Amino acid sequence: MPERLPVRVTVNGSPREGEVEPRLLLSDFLRHELGLTGTHVGCEHGVCGACTVLLDGAAVRSCLLFAVQVEGRAVTTVEGLADGETLHPIQAAFRESHALQCGFCTPGFLMTLVPFLAENPDPSDDEIRDALGGLLCRCTGYHNIALAVRRAAEAMAGDRPAERPVPATNGGSRAR
Amino acid sequence: MRLEGEHVFDAPREAVWEALLDPAVLARVLPGTERLERVEEGLYRGLMKVAVGPVSAGGYDVTVRIVDPVRPESYRMEIDGRGGLGFARGTAEVRLSEEGSGQTRMHYSSDLQIGGKVAGIGQRLVDNVAKTMTARGLDALAAEIRARVEGGE
Amino acid sequence: MRADGSASGNGGARAGRVFGRGVARVEDRALLTGQALFVDDVQVPGCLHAAFVRSDFAHARIRGVDLDAARAAPGVVAAFAAGDLGDYWKPGPLLVPPPPIERLEFHARTQVPLAKDKARHAGEPVAVIVAESRYAAEDAAELVYVDAEPLDAVVDLEAALAPGAPLVHDDLPSNLAARVVQSRGDYAAAVGGADLVIARRLLYDRGAGAAIENRGVVASWDPRAGELTVWDTTQAPIPIRNGLAAMLGLSESKVRVVAPFIGGGFGPKIMMFYPEEVVIPWLAIRLGRPVKWIEDRRENFHGTTQERLQIHDAEIAVAADGRIVGVKDAFLHDTGAYDPYGLTVPINSQCTLLGPYDVPNYHSEMRVVFTNKTIVTPVRGAGRQHGVFVIERLLDLAARELGIDRVEIRRRNYLPPDSFPHDNNIIYQDFAPLVYDSGNYRPALELAAELIGWGDFMADPSARDVDPPPEGGVRRRGIGIVSYVEGTGIGPYEGARVSIEPSGRVRLATGVGTQGQGHFTSFAQIVAEQLGVDADDVDVSTGDTREFHWGTGTFASRGTVVAGSACHQAGVKVREKAIALAARILEVEPAAVELGGGGAYVREDPSKSIGLGELAARANPLRGAVRSGVEPGLEATAYFGPDRGSTASGVHACVVEVDPETAEVRVVRYLVVHDCGTIVNPAIVGGQIHGGVAMGIGNALFEKLHYDENGQLLNASFMDYLLPTATDVPPIETAHIETPSPLNPLGVKGVGEAGAIPTGAAIAQAIEDALGIPGLEILEIPIPPDRLWALIEAARAEVPA
Repeated sequence: MPERLPVRVTVNGSPREGEVEPRLLLSDFLRHELGLTGTHVGCEHGVCGACTVLLDGAAVRSCLLFAVQVEGRAVTTVEGLADGETLHPIQAAFRESHALQCGFCTPGFLMTLVPFLAENPDPSDDEIRDALGGLLCRCTGYHNIALAVRRAAEAMAGDRPAERPVPATNGGSRAR
Repeated sequence: MRLEGEHVFDAPREAVWEALLDPAVLARVLPGTERLERVEEGLYRGLMKVAVGPVSAGGYDVTVRIVDPVRPESYRMEIDGRGGLGFARGTAEVRLSEEGSGQTRMHYSSDLQIGGKVAGIGQRLVDNVAKTMTARGLDALAAEIRARVEGGE
Repeated sequence: MRADGSASGNGGARAGRVFGRGVARVEDRALLTGQALFVDDVQVPGCLHAAFVRSDFAHARIRGVDLDAARAAPGVVAAFAAGDLGDYWKPGPLLVPPPPIERLEFHARTQVPLAKDKARHAGEPVAVIVAESRYAAEDAAELVYVDAEPLDAVVDLEAALAPGAPLVHDDLPSNLAARVVQSRGDYAAAVGGADLVIARRLLYDRGAGAAIENRGVVASWDPRAGELTVWDTTQAPIPIRNGLAAMLGLSESKVRVVAPFIGGGFGPKIMMFYPEEVVIPWLAIRLGRPVKWIEDRRENFHGTTQERLQIHDAEIAVAADGRIVGVKDAFLHDTGAYDPYGLTVPINSQCTLLGPYDVPNYHSEMRVVFTNKTIVTPVRGAGRQHGVFVIERLLDLAARELGIDRVEIRRRNYLPPDSFPHDNNIIYQDFAPLVYDSGNYRPALELAAELIGWGDFMADPSARDVDPPPEGGVRRRGIGIVSYVEGTGIGPYEGARVSIEPSGRVRLATGVGTQGQGHFTSFAQIVAEQLGVDADDVDVSTGDTREFHWGTGTFASRGTVVAGSACHQAGVKVREKAIALAARILEVEPAAVELGGGGAYVREDPSKSIGLGELAARANPLRGAVRSGVEPGLEATAYFGPDRGSTASGVHACVVEVDPETAEVRVVRYLVVHDCGTIVNPAIVGGQIHGGVAMGIGNALFEKLHYDENGQLLNASFMDYLLPTATDVPPIETAHIETPSPLNPLGVKGVGEAGAIPTGAAIAQAIEDALGIPGLEILEIPIPPDRLWALIEAARAEVPA
């Protein structure tokens, strides 16, 4: 039986604990031990960013951390983003902008953008693209994701309601 | 993967030849070699651990067969290494020539196929790792030969 | 100026309350909050985990597999090699037999569950370990000794066909998997009448689909019920269900295959009967415990199908005015170690080469080659991009040689709008003659040229200078414009069942899987439009064989065309049932009844109404009699099978900036004018195009699978195989033209692959334009900086300054 170590961690505000092998990845701990399967694993070598979570508020790749490394710290996953039924403004902006298709990479984008928009409440288009540059999405071409970031920044700056109907502008112009 | 180069040892050709075919010496000088034994004349088996970038400390079961030895001038090696990280196989050729003043020039060339995890993930680092390992091995071998020659004097 | 693309006006659905609107997707909330179920999220109590032992060699004879050490490893429950599978071991099905083309030669060799006598590509599964955790299974997998005798690998396509080449399949006389010749007119006779003949070799190299979700299979066997449940990352759950049932000797009703949320498909998750897909269900039955296998990224690079390597020797014959006299093409297609998908990809290349152009004489010979590489099956575009690349590049060269503007040479060669339906006189991948159903190409070209600023760019001598030049260098700007047609929405058929529940909600079930294309929403919109409800009121089930029994799957840009049409027809039937019942209850003629607001009402007197839920309850009474000839409930099932594929088309234009010293290419503008017929949801169509373009940009500039001469894949990770990121892809401009298809009730055409198909051709043209170096021709894809730099150097060396 391999050695097991205790892990105590606050996840989405609740204390959680487990006994894990030292080599257990944080992503596997979250998904398989805690059942928080919203965090997705795309490459397991830190490139795609789908597994991004917040560790004490900073975006980290949970496939590059061992569960034992987060002992005593606070982790936020995508499950902790919405406030009950109310989507977080970034989630709402993604929905409004059709910024997700298969949705597999989406949690990593959301969790990366939370600290980004906190630090850059009014980012330029280049800054947005740079912020997204470490994440891979194969479906959207990033076009609507970039729009969603702008929309989320505006929503978070003003008192706009988090959710509102979608204008039919993101499909491009139309000729009939 | 192809490697080729030369190295000049401060030792007579016989001494270099002896060292090159002594598994105890090779086990000490080849980086990552955990074990190397002579199974029979011209056949060696051992275990090497190699780290290539993100693919770390993989063990290779290595078999080396010496072919066409022409003492003390040249020999060829058939190398076959396999392990959980894949394989490395191919041939290497060593030629020794006498330089003046008791020195020996070694010319080596090898052609190895790398397969498995190391090939797929560590490929762009393989050449550099191999060159680094070769350089470290040659330095260690030179030191070993120097010690032998001096010890024998 | 906006082009009026609906000139052919064959009817087709028109935008309604929800149909044709960019309504937000109904599936998004689950995806955004981490509640959507993907295959790796399936947790079955008592589940075991599998890891596969894969061949390190690309080509080797397997003398034995020693599993003893693995079986003794901690946590291991069982380990199996090919011999342990007994009668279950057999090659997979030939998924697509070759089309009926005369004098066609084809050798089917399909993948096996575990390699037995020979391994034919690096990464082919040789054994499987089942353990209490994936970690334990992988530990044990490293202990397996495969006694393999390495053989020379078949890698290069031309060398593969040379006499004496090592054989991928020992029982075949050569590595030739297929040979197909198709022609129309008489190229040999016509070429003499041409004013210019240009012949070139063009190369389109291997790439990966690289969905961010890897593949995965979870299987659970209930011995008491005799039922098998399989969660599978497949684009085609129903064919997988049928195939597994046959292989395992179970009736189809005892096998349930669920394709839940799928993290991107792009082709490789098609109905493959991958080794893992076949082995995991067998393990679950054999061991009596659920078994899960989730592919890791490295496995994905070796074990998931790939696409693209083709070498074309092509020539175009043109008249002095640029009109095409004929095209002749001979190409090699790399199918990898097996060819389970038949000729789908190379036939697509062969057919799509004709494009929107009037090509009176065409001769095309393809040879499909077995190699010791991962299997090739359709990946987004599925060979169409190769054909487009060849014809567009040849047209560009002809335009350059003849001094004709690149827009003008296309204009001169388009099929005129009155030529539809247009028969190309060759056979397409769906076995039917390649007939374009409808199209009107010039408006898209004119619109694209205007939006990209073609005329101004050509007229401005300084347009190619990037001003101010970036620090320490020179950058050149270039413009490209290409067009394409795309066969989409092929048969055979799909079905859908629509029912109104007593709650008033609508249930819609169809058999296709969905991988992010927004089917939940598009299908809901189609049905909601018929039933007078909102898309949110429709609960859509896709990809669960328990919900719908019949169908094929999501591929070839066919989901909305084929399944969408079935949804429409089922919705129409339920609408009729609801109206008939409401008319009886409200005591008016059916013609007086309208559906809307979640109920039925009398058009002239909306106060007389009844809710859909109540109607559903009344349609399924507990007492009294249901009238003869009336089915209970408000439910209907419909099937739709198009006679042939509908032809989408479009024009891509782009502006690139190239640094002639570093050969760095940046795509600064990208524009797509696309005609996919009637649009169900413009937001979703836009998204499909954006994603396709990004994939096309990746394919054009970065994505290449590097195999060495021994068949080893050298860049099997995202560190080395580069996908485009947000900084590589510009904002994508789109414009739509709608020429409805006459082949389905909605008038829709497929859109899933359009963004990815002509991208390489557009970027290659723009790079040439930017650099303006005589003799510099981009005839290969991808064109990463190192390769472009070499081409620039070579061209400069040819032409003394």
